Amino acid sequence: MSAEVRTPRLSGSTRRLLVHGGFTAIAILYVGVLVVAPLIGIAWAALRGGLSTWTSTLAQPDVVHAYLITGIITAITFFVTTVLGVVVALVITRDRFPGRSLLSAFVDLPLAVSPVIVGVMAVLLFGRGGWFEPWFSARGIQILFALPSMVLVTIFICIPFVIREVVPVLQELGVSEEEAASTLGASSWQTFFRVTLKNIRWGLLYGIALTTARAIGEIGAILIVSGSITGKTETATLYILRAFDQNQDPSGYVVALTLALVSIVLLVGIEAFKRREERELRT
Amino acid sequence: MSTQTLDRPSVPRPQRGPGPRPWVTARAAMARWGLRGTALLYLGLLIVLPTVVVVARGFGKGLTAFRDALTTPGAREAIILTVGLAAVTAVINVVFGTELAYVLVRYRFPGRRLLSTIVDIPFAIPTLVTGVMLRALYGPISPVGAFLDRHGIQVIFAQAGILLALLFVTLPLVVRTVQPVLLELDETEEEAARVLGASRWLTFRRVVFPKLRPGIVAGGLLAFARALGEFGAVVIVSGNIIGKTLTAPVLITQLINGGKPEDAAAVATLLFGLSFVLVLVTERLLSTGRKEAS
Amino acid sequence: MQSRPLGARALGLVAAAAVLASACATNSSGGTDGSPGTCTQQESPVITLAAYSNVYDVYGKLISNFQTEWKDSHDGQQVIFQTSFAGSTTQAQNVVNGFPADIVALSLAPDVQMIQDAGLITHDWTQATDGGIMATSVVVFDVRPGNPKHIENWDDLTQPGLEILTPDPAQSGGARWNIVAAYGASMRGHVPGYAANDPAAAEKLLEGIFKNVTVMDKSANDSIKDFQSGNGDVAITYEYAVLAAQKAGLPDEAVIPSSTVSIQTPVAVVDEYAQEHCVEDIANAFVKYLHTKEAEDLFTSVGYERSVNLKQAKAGGGGTYPAVKDLFTTDDLGGWDQLQSDTVFGPDGAFTKAQQTVTG
Repeated sequence: MSAEVRTPRLSGSTRRLLVHGGFTAIAILYVGVLVVAPLIGIAWAALRGGLSTWTSTLAQPDVVHAYLITGIITAITFFVTTVLGVVVALVITRDRFPGRSLLSAFVDLPLAVSPVIVGVMAVLLFGRGGWFEPWFSARGIQILFALPSMVLVTIFICIPFVIREVVPVLQELGVSEEEAASTLGASSWQTFFRVTLKNIRWGLLYGIALTTARAIGEIGAILIVSGSITGKTETATLYILRAFDQNQDPSGYVVALTLALVSIVLLVGIEAFKRREERELRT
Repeated sequence: MSTQTLDRPSVPRPQRGPGPRPWVTARAAMARWGLRGTALLYLGLLIVLPTVVVVARGFGKGLTAFRDALTTPGAREAIILTVGLAAVTAVINVVFGTELAYVLVRYRFPGRRLLSTIVDIPFAIPTLVTGVMLRALYGPISPVGAFLDRHGIQVIFAQAGILLALLFVTLPLVVRTVQPVLLELDETEEEAARVLGASRWLTFRRVVFPKLRPGIVAGGLLAFARALGEFGAVVIVSGNIIGKTLTAPVLITQLINGGKPEDAAAVATLLFGLSFVLVLVTERLLSTGRKEAS
Repeated sequence: MQSRPLGARALGLVAAAAVLASACATNSSGGTDGSPGTCTQQESPVITLAAYSNVYDVYGKLISNFQTEWKDSHDGQQVIFQTSFAGSTTQAQNVVNGFPADIVALSLAPDVQMIQDAGLITHDWTQATDGGIMATSVVVFDVRPGNPKHIENWDDLTQPGLEILTPDPAQSGGARWNIVAAYGASMRGHVPGYAANDPAAAEKLLEGIFKNVTVMDKSANDSIKDFQSGNGDVAITYEYAVLAAQKAGLPDEAVIPSSTVSIQTPVAVVDEYAQEHCVEDIANAFVKYLHTKEAEDLFTSVGYERSVNLKQAKAGGGGTYPAVKDLFTTDDLGGWDQLQSDTVFGPDGAFTKAQQTVTG
């Protein structure tokens, strides 16, 4: 079969350059309009008010409380999902038992669930007529409209991140190093900390950064379960909603921008960890 | 999962006597079960249980009630609108996302690293902040918004705004799903085709694209599943009008806020059932795609 | 799989403990010792107030005044208020679902009734001063400067191509007030082209209005905020919200239709939680404070509310509050129960049928 040899009108390299340039331009334009423009928009809106808006907003006790509550929820979530995430990752990759792949599928489930649905789950379990409501209310323990439900929904949403990052690393690395260590007389704890943990650290950090970013930004489930009680259950994201509700737009933009900045810092960290992980896996 | 045979080290093994003692194996078994039990308890309580309660309460009042909850005009319109918008989002981002992935993988230009980082921004930014950003940019108070308004283009409180929000949050999903597939492609086949005189477009269509297809489809499905459930960005830019701008996740909050938990559970079950199936299909596609590429 | 100490299971327990710890942390500030029936007095008692969406300004002021007065008369005791503002019906649902509100300030009686029906309010709050009503307002049209679409009465809302904002009745009390106002005005024969005492005519009016509704926000406050962002031609809202906007320098203009409903907003102590948190006496004191002259003045000056007395509300006065030609209450229409379960929001109600026709 003979293929037609085309005689390009332009020289091959010029044509290629134009095509490359064109495609690149399209890519840059798309990302620019879709992602960069809104970022500029919020920066402009937040900085319009000047330094005084910033200082007055960040000094408000409500705002400080909101950051604090976001921080507490994020910290607990990060601790639980990291520790238990590593456990699950180890079990998925190293243990053999029937139903193991089912377990793996369940790990991915939160990724498919809209956060609003997570809020509904909490209400159905702990709200009036909920499955667990009688047990908790008999003991006077407040789950809904208080921190515990907010922590629980955030944990649910963040479960997959650490696990999904650590599992492939564990699978790639295999058990040889751990076996070697234990043959040399190391105890399980020593093996875990000196060998396993060291090997998964970049994937783990990547997962932790993703978890933190997600936990800070949670709104859908939190809106349903928190009750938005100022000073008690109002997160930074809930504060932003309220600021726009109550004619305090400049403050809303300020706090929104701070969250965006924190997320971007985390993102840069994520990228760095990802590169380190790739580099280490290649060696 | 890599298996490597272990070369016996030259260091002498510590003495263990005539084989592991019963209490050692028992302890190992207990520890294994401890770990396994923790994992099962963690996932069981935190994932399986809430999932079961939603499905159970959704069907709690019977199959008819379930169907009724989904077919009220509000619910039906919301579901159709959500699926429609998610589909459009997936298609648009599949086109541009694949193009972006190609540019990022195959081309070299100043600012490539920056572009790659920017593509990931939607992964990290809180969805509510996304909505706020869109409102800052396209609301009537901003110069851009005022300009569009004068020309009759409404973004906020219209489907255009919702679409922009969904495109924003799903872009990295497509790009980061297609990218690894592109990276793993063996370029020798493409080079062979070029040597034989095929045009670049023909090469792409006949050689590259078929290998990319699972990745592209997977990315599209993931974007679709994600767009189905988006709330934070949509709630700020949407007008909540049945049939026009009320999406299923916002509808669910309305139902819960309005004291109809079973109806909320019914819509939730449908929505997340669909998304979960899509995620599973995507995983299958990606793993087979990976096997084919190697 | 290498042997591993049982510390792994301990980790799981630690995690569970963390979650429970946060539960205890939040509970200790609430003054409960875990078992119902007993409560512990707090040095700085905390009152949780669940209010509807757009009264944050006036309650902010009322709360701070009350806190100062209480401090003066109670040996410097500092009462802490934790507030939550959202759609009235949403708040009521939340309280029923376990939101630990000691006091609820909602926008309509049925929402308080919902909480009472759930057994959380055990006293007859309607027997309180003024039937438990704190303040009133009226349903008005919030229009653009100069009223370019010439909206004067309810029938003007049905003009084709008009864009109307009103909240979602499932979540917002204000939304239901708007609907009842339209219904009542039509039934009382004050809407040209719609016969009095004719439910079918009222239904037709509601249909015409809701055909033009473009945004249905989750609260009255969200609705007026959207209007102020530039969306829509008119927002149906509370008079006080428009006045507050004007005070803030926004160009909102209020048009009072010839016939409209007196929005009566109730406040009640939620006995169950107030008792549980040992703040019943403070909660009752706060509600009583809301009836004092000082509070009334604040409701008028900061909250732009009208008098609880219907005659005075109708007459308006003070330059800020125009007289209303025909001001009626829900009692004139048969009471909220009838409106809710039958004539307006019932399965064959005027609004239910109108909405079905509009959404098809």
